[in-house]
Amino acid sequence: MSSVTQQPFRTAVLVLVWGWLLFLVLTPNLLVVGASVMTRDPGSFLSLPLNLDAYRQLMNPLYLDVFLHSLYMAAMTTLICLLIGYPFAWALTKVGKQRQMLLIFLLIVPFWTNSLVRTYALKLLLATNGLLNNALMSLGIIEEPLRMLYTEGAVIVGLVYLLLPFMILPLYAVFDDLREDLLRASHDLGAGRLATFVHVIVPLTLPGVLAGVMLVLLPAMGLFFVPDILGGSRNLLVGNVIKNQFLDARNWPFGAAASIVLTLAMAFLMFAHRLSKRRIGEDGV
Amino acid sequence: MKKLALAGMLAIGLTGCSSEDPQVLNLYNWSEYMPQEVLDRFTEETGIQVVYTTYDSNEAMYARLKLLDESAAYDLAVPSTYYVSKMRQEDLLMPIDRSKIEGFGNLDDDLVNLDIDPDNQYSIPYLWGTTGIAVDTDDVEGEVTAWADLWDERFQGRVMLTNDMREVFHVGLRVLGYSGNSTDPQEIEEAYEKLAELMPSVRTFNSDAPRMPYLEGEADVGMIWNGEAVMGKETMPSLEYVYPEEGIIAWLDSFVIPKNARNPEAAHQFISFVLQPEIAALISEDIGYATPNQAALELLDESVANDRASYPTDADMENAEFQADIGDDALQIYAKFWEMLKSGR
Repeated sequence: MSSVTQQPFRTAVLVLVWGWLLFLVLTPNLLVVGASVMTRDPGSFLSLPLNLDAYRQLMNPLYLDVFLHSLYMAAMTTLICLLIGYPFAWALTKVGKQRQMLLIFLLIVPFWTNSLVRTYALKLLLATNGLLNNALMSLGIIEEPLRMLYTEGAVIVGLVYLLLPFMILPLYAVFDDLREDLLRASHDLGAGRLATFVHVIVPLTLPGVLAGVMLVLLPAMGLFFVPDILGGSRNLLVGNVIKNQFLDARNWPFGAAASIVLTLAMAFLMFAHRLSKRRIGEDGV
Repeated sequence: MKKLALAGMLAIGLTGCSSEDPQVLNLYNWSEYMPQEVLDRFTEETGIQVVYTTYDSNEAMYARLKLLDESAAYDLAVPSTYYVSKMRQEDLLMPIDRSKIEGFGNLDDDLVNLDIDPDNQYSIPYLWGTTGIAVDTDDVEGEVTAWADLWDERFQGRVMLTNDMREVFHVGLRVLGYSGNSTDPQEIEEAYEKLAELMPSVRTFNSDAPRMPYLEGEADVGMIWNGEAVMGKETMPSLEYVYPEEGIIAWLDSFVIPKNARNPEAAHQFISFVLQPEIAALISEDIGYATPNQAALELLDESVANDRASYPTDADMENAEFQADIGDDALQIYAKFWEMLKSGR
């Protein structure tokens, strides 16, 4: 009681945080879990009895196929984000503080525009008579326009574009913490550039890499509007299956079950991340 | 001063969600299916603001209305043919008070009192149209006269289909000689197999604005709605609309008032407004679909009235088939094969 009166701010914050978690995180997720074990009903969407039919339906090879293809596209996206983001974040910490802030600011600016709008903008770039093709043709590099839109590649380009900052920011954080003296020590002890990179830099930045991978890989499987716009409603992601089940097939239990499997995959990755972090922590000691 | 501003904002917020505000009509319609001019003129004449929301499939519209909750309180919606009967039977609609509707007599006798809604108790026809073949004659050599032509090898990677499960399967079923409203699992599976052969040729699915992939140069041949073909031709004269030999897909879209409408009064007013011959003619001229309003036909611009894409001849409508409700069991079979079709590579 005394703590409530003494620390009103602390109490307010706690109530806010717990209230948020309870009503906006826990409750909706429980509703989804509930929906996933109910029976599909053409009239009222959901009905009793409870059963696991929706999960059984997920075992269908078709959905495994969609899941694997979705995972493949998400993995490619993550890999490309990592290949671009890693040197990008590193270079970011090498420039002066002032310019660093400017560059990070520029990285974040696109977020001020709705991602749907930005995806449509990409469509204009990639279209058969779009900007990129017109530019390449007028430069005489290609004769015939390239077919870029409505391909798997277009979907991956869209995903990379939307998710790259989520890879760069955690990497920037670890590179920012990377102490110069450790690198100098490595050199003093006779390690070459490559050895320093492999044995010092990579292990020290690994938590950032893992955080970036987590922030990119799973959202990449859910951004259903990217295949809808850039993939021509082909090259589906798990997110598309979920959306279609809710809106078109009106099979809510199945959509909910698919969504839960995606959440579990996310949880599994976070768990793996924690484990690896602990291991790295011990190595560091 | 600050407090005053806050109170003012609160007041605005309250009137915004008041359920009895008579000045707003929530209209839920297909995308690109109503000229802005009509909405503006309605507001001008009646003082009722129109909040316009769009959808791109009957399924999406139905899923929202089915909830009958506050988040989806629309005063008017425009379901296609068989969705009218489906929604009527599921008790989602409010009966239309014909004493408040003016101009019902203007409607074509052939398009009222249909099986989907005997005596038009729940629905008033808005527009009718067809789904046929679009051909970019600049890029396509030779004739395209049938749905089966889409399977031609020369169209590899150049075909567009609508993002509409029933329509795409309709094409597959008709090519095999079956009814587009088949409920036979065997026939649906055969149609799936036939369509799976077409998939390598398919560049994209689009039901937002099916003319766009043709205008953007992404597709040269495929499915299109007739109104979209008319609109597309204005930008790209080489875009032709073809009535396939196997038969066109026909549909009739009607105004309905959902059961949880907040302002049914305004909904009735809007229906009467659109039934005026002058307004109906303006809509048909602007978006290229055919009006069921007989009185409007006389007012149509010559070029529109004679455009076969908008107003087909009797010969064009030979073998035409209206979409019918196929029941939930068949719908699930379609849904399964639709997903297989779209995820197959």
